[in-house]
Amino acid sequence: MNEKELQDAARQLPRSIEPPEDLWPGIRERIRQGKAGQGGGRRRKYRLFVWVPLAMAAGVAAILLLRPHGETWTVQRVAGAPRVNDAPLSASGTMRVGQVLETDDSSRATIAVGGIGRVDVQPGSRVRLVRAEATDHRLALAYGGIHAKVDAPPRLFFVDTPAGTAVDLGCEYVLETDSSGRGRLHVTGGYVEFAWSGARSVVPVDAYAETRPHRPPGIPYVSDAPAGLVAALDSFAFASAGAAAVGKALGAARSEDAISLWHLLSRVDVSERGAVYDRLANLVSPPAGVTRAGALALDPKTLESYWGRIERIHFRIVVLRGIRNVDARTGRTRD
Amino acid sequence: MSLTPAVSSDDRIALARAGDETAFEALYREHAGRVYGLCLRLSGDRGRAAELTQDVFVRCWEKLGTFRGESAFGSWLYRLAVNVVWMANRGDRRREDRVMPVAEPDLLERGTTSGAAGLAIDLERAIATLPKGAREVFVLFDVEGYGHEDIARMTGIAVGTSKAQLFRARRLLRERLER
Repeated sequence: MNEKELQDAARQLPRSIEPPEDLWPGIRERIRQGKAGQGGGRRRKYRLFVWVPLAMAAGVAAILLLRPHGETWTVQRVAGAPRVNDAPLSASGTMRVGQVLETDDSSRATIAVGGIGRVDVQPGSRVRLVRAEATDHRLALAYGGIHAKVDAPPRLFFVDTPAGTAVDLGCEYVLETDSSGRGRLHVTGGYVEFAWSGARSVVPVDAYAETRPHRPPGIPYVSDAPAGLVAALDSFAFASAGAAAVGKALGAARSEDAISLWHLLSRVDVSERGAVYDRLANLVSPPAGVTRAGALALDPKTLESYWGRIERIHFRIVVLRGIRNVDARTGRTRD
Repeated sequence: MSLTPAVSSDDRIALARAGDETAFEALYREHAGRVYGLCLRLSGDRGRAAELTQDVFVRCWEKLGTFRGESAFGSWLYRLAVNVVWMANRGDRRREDRVMPVAEPDLLERGTTSGAAGLAIDLERAIATLPKGAREVFVLFDVEGYGHEDIARMTGIAVGTSKAQLFRARRLLRERLER
């Protein structure tokens, strides 16, 4: 073998070799044991002279984050000629509580939501600043669409629509509605709760929920849900199709659609609840402590526990998409 | 309404930086093979490679805050891996001058075959028997594609040393493959 043949052979060696066993559990354990500080960590090496300034900075940040922002938010023109209270918006301006931002078909604007996030207002939208308080940042979307990205603890940012209220749970989402309240929520990061008159849907990343006026929010469904399931959920939620729609939904649902069935469980008539639970349990086995009786009684702890398992599996499917094949029944990766 | 990818690679990195274990697991799944392969060839020992791979990802978790996105995440991670392995090898005197048992990687356990696959297996075996310094430079230069300046920066050895080790490694490999 000459030198060139050797070099060619070396370059053709596979660079990737799968470990003989899954090393992740050991890594996770070490991380959880606090042997490793995350995010530029080396926390164990930090000393008082590091912590004290950090604590002071955190205090200042908290004050800045939680202080009232003078009931005005900054608005920036992105395109076209947005208007604030009928006055043309120049490059940037402010909105006060009660004022309205409107965009025509060719206008876009961005609202800085206090110190916690931003809202991109799509063309053809009308948005009013309802409240600008430390614990209640609230817009009202009369019609049109917004893309919201919020980096704050849950339940600090709200968007009222004619069909209900989107409650930020630490997330990024697109919300569109017409003036009647017919619209759709698409969550692209984290979770959003959509609530109307005591009813609520919790929409996780990569899922949708439809909205209609004077109706509880639609049952959430994942982005690749079967069309038959989406249609059945729509009929159930908005066309009073009842048992027939439930039957179709149960027939069309896959393990990946567990978030939909979990929501159905508490929405269907009590006479259909057993069938929904049985199908759900068949698709994603309930965690320890979750009983059929507890679920049929809509025991909050039972439902919360089941949801924890379902949303964990859902998140793994989404975050590992294209990397690992996740078993939607268990959340485990398939080799 | 557009269907944008729900969680991009950048999102995973950002989530992991924020402490999200699942996102970090996704990064691990994506890069584990490449990191393990690097650790295996640099250390010459399967068990040691598994330990080092874990060390690399724990170190990655610690250092994620310093990743600025100026290079691809993979490039950053592999350089980190080289550094971790290099430091571990230097700090472990028990392993000084260690020569790896021949059939450590799984792919070496299939026995010799003919053709290109057979050559690859023979080469892997031969690489594993190289002296440590020569093996490290050969793997980084000829397998991983780093230049001598990169190797010098990552490992702290002189460029001349890197070239000399590469020359030595290639000579030894040719001799062993021609036996």
